[in-house]
Amino acid sequence: MNSIAVDHISKRYGTLQALDDITFTVSPGEVFGLIGPDGAGKTSLFRILATLIRPSSGTARIDGLDVEREMTQVRRRIGYMPGRFSLYPDLTVRENLDFFATLFGTSVDEGYDSIRAIYGQIERFAQRRAGDLSGGMKQKLALSCALVHRPSILLLDEPTTGVDPVSRKELWELLGTLKEQGITVLASTPYSDEIRRCERVAFLHHGQLQGIGTPDEILSRFAGIFLPPAPERHIAPNTPAPIAENTQSQHSQQDNIIEVKHLVKSFGTFRAVDDITFSVRRGEIFGFLGANGAGKTTAMHMLTGLNQPTEGTGTVAGFDIRTEHEQVKRHIGYMSQKFSLYGDLTVAENIRLFAGIYGMSSSDIGRKTDELLQQLHFAEHKHSRVDSLPLGWKQKLAFSVAIFHRPDVVFLDEPTGGVDPQTRRQFWELIYQAAESGITIFVTTHYMDEAEYCDRLSIMVDGKIEAIGTPEELKQRFQQPDIDHVFTLLARRAKRSDI
Amino acid sequence: MTAFQSFILKESRHILRDKRTMLILFGMPVVLMLLFGFAITTDVRNVRTVVVTAAMNPQTQRAVEALRTSEYFTLTAIAPTAEAAKEMIRRQKADIAIIFSAQGKQTAGIQVLIDGADPNMSQQWANYANGVIATALNNQQHSPSPAAAGSLASPTVSTRLLYNPQMRSAYNFVPAIMGMLLMLICAMMTSISIVREKERGTMEVMLASPVHPLMFIVGKLMPYLALAFAILCSILLLARFVLDVPIAGSFGMILAVSTLYIVLALALGLLISNVARTQLVALLMSAMVLLMPIVMLSGMLFPVESMPHVLQYVSAAIPPRYYIQAMRKLLIMGVGVESVTREIAILAAMASLLLTLALATFHKRLE
Repeated sequence: MNSIAVDHISKRYGTLQALDDITFTVSPGEVFGLIGPDGAGKTSLFRILATLIRPSSGTARIDGLDVEREMTQVRRRIGYMPGRFSLYPDLTVRENLDFFATLFGTSVDEGYDSIRAIYGQIERFAQRRAGDLSGGMKQKLALSCALVHRPSILLLDEPTTGVDPVSRKELWELLGTLKEQGITVLASTPYSDEIRRCERVAFLHHGQLQGIGTPDEILSRFAGIFLPPAPERHIAPNTPAPIAENTQSQHSQQDNIIEVKHLVKSFGTFRAVDDITFSVRRGEIFGFLGANGAGKTTAMHMLTGLNQPTEGTGTVAGFDIRTEHEQVKRHIGYMSQKFSLYGDLTVAENIRLFAGIYGMSSSDIGRKTDELLQQLHFAEHKHSRVDSLPLGWKQKLAFSVAIFHRPDVVFLDEPTGGVDPQTRRQFWELIYQAAESGITIFVTTHYMDEAEYCDRLSIMVDGKIEAIGTPEELKQRFQQPDIDHVFTLLARRAKRSDI
Repeated sequence: MTAFQSFILKESRHILRDKRTMLILFGMPVVLMLLFGFAITTDVRNVRTVVVTAAMNPQTQRAVEALRTSEYFTLTAIAPTAEAAKEMIRRQKADIAIIFSAQGKQTAGIQVLIDGADPNMSQQWANYANGVIATALNNQQHSPSPAAAGSLASPTVSTRLLYNPQMRSAYNFVPAIMGMLLMLICAMMTSISIVREKERGTMEVMLASPVHPLMFIVGKLMPYLALAFAILCSILLLARFVLDVPIAGSFGMILAVSTLYIVLALALGLLISNVARTQLVALLMSAMVLLMPIVMLSGMLFPVESMPHVLQYVSAAIPPRYYIQAMRKLLIMGVGVESVTREIAILAAMASLLLTLALATFHKRLE
């Protein structure tokens, strides 16, 4: 008997066809991937299997049980982890786990064997509130909660979004061990390295099943979507000068758009950012990497004038980050993953609002809005509400808005979280265009393929910058084949307990 | 531990760990009770009075003395003429002027001038002033020569207030505050806490678990039920020992009617949570849909009888109205159950209707 049998499932929301006649089966103990761009219908399929929504037509069976008619038995057999971490932030780790255990009529002690491998890693934080955990640890706790009742099928809807590469690897190693316990795993992911860890994958696009096969088959058949070629830079970046900067230090001083010396940020006795020194040249694409909790966001907040450094000095676009916040803010653009645009305003209204905030004149805004929308092929969506656009479009728009007032440098905080490779690739074309027009890019990302697109990288571990240089230099220095390996090597050295 | 117990435990932790909300929940009854009890009062007390006596005679003297000693009036000045007294009211130096015009030894007439800016209060002041003066004059007529009094005394209307002899407004607002706070806490807090789970995504996991969704909901309501009782008790204690409102009726009956009302409020909260998708919407719905009509139309501030007919019909559909009525009867008048059967019947009917509606619209799935 198949663990999961999906038979001609369709789902419509009004006029939107979310799923169109999907049929596939998953055998017991298989690790099965559900992949496809944003809006492909993955979440709808997960919700149908988790008995949360009804299909418009077709049937689905979990361990031979119909998800509609035998809902209660199905619910007993599945462990479900929705996209967001479904934890109670005001309960401790242990209380969360206890709660979810009793929810399924079991106890943590009874189910301990099935979660030992995962829960063991966070057990020492049992008394910490879930809201105070890092992304990687929340995800492990959420997984423990989904596994504590020993389900036979685990449904994971993008379990690794927003989680750093090291934690992602650990999670997938754990998923591999579930096979030994006979647990079937159905997981969706936007990461190609995670797709490779599945035994088989199904590729969804616009609600339709495009293909099922081994990861390699699917990845090569749809290479244009999953492994798009790296975007090309038409103008070579300022060739990173070798270390011998002393001779032209006068010149480089002026060309450094960001200059930071011995920057420290302490919260009580805890040094979130611990003495970092680096500089970013004008027109450069600078990748700012680090595991969750390494201090990236805190450092970025100091650079953008949102937070006062405890010690050290720094300038951004020639202004002191300690005293000239207002000037700094005027000369930078900022795009964060969480907040980008107002969903209930139209595209044009959002642009007008943000341009207005930076004091652009009305006529300029009107003209440049049309130019921008033309360039993004967005013209027909000028008066659509941002809510109605797909995530990838929103991100492109948010980026364009962040550089609309022609800042000297733009800070991007995980701009491409949760987006498929093709859309990310298009996003990076925009970044390259911006860099060519002279805007310096300061970007954090958890995608290591994106790290390779940067001119220079720094990798933060435990509040300090462990390595800095071009991707090539770093690979040579640490003798690793790619940045992913370099990052994993350095991040695993972290001693600081996860914050 | 059963799933049900763990729901209650979990929900209690949410409540107990949210210190600020707790502070507001327990602070609100105290602040409201003290405000209504001491600051905002419709009692007649310390009304600034100016007296105009053209010629003092013993009668006038007695009347002035009675005003001076009464706790309702404070004699602030004695003015020479009526014009001067009017001027004092205009300058906000006095609220009321009492003008005695005399002819020889007899008081010829008494005129009362009142600042009518607040019509309700000025009406009350007038009544009180009349009462005080009339009593003073009558006494004077009665005591020295009982024989003469019989012939002179015109029949006077004597009024006696039952249940609230001192005309204390606390008697009126304690039931009103109970009706408002219990509704607010039960309906608003439960709807917000259920919608919060929707927003956090924990609802999704809950629905995908084998536990029956209703058990989850009932488990969620229990701590709020307990909280509501704690608040009910604290209001009653404050009323009894700080504001000196006697609890005349049977405590068991008060508790029983309150329980019915709390269940009704919880059902309303559940109904709101079925409709609202975000905490903000739940909050606005509870505040706008519940609070405003309760304050305006339940008879808490304005008597239902003096509302326009249309509003009286609307008011008839507002549950707190019946609860407040029932509490006034039970708490203040101390009457038995038989006189609140109508209120209880209406509340019970409303509660079962709302509960049925809430359960019927409850989703066992996401959509």
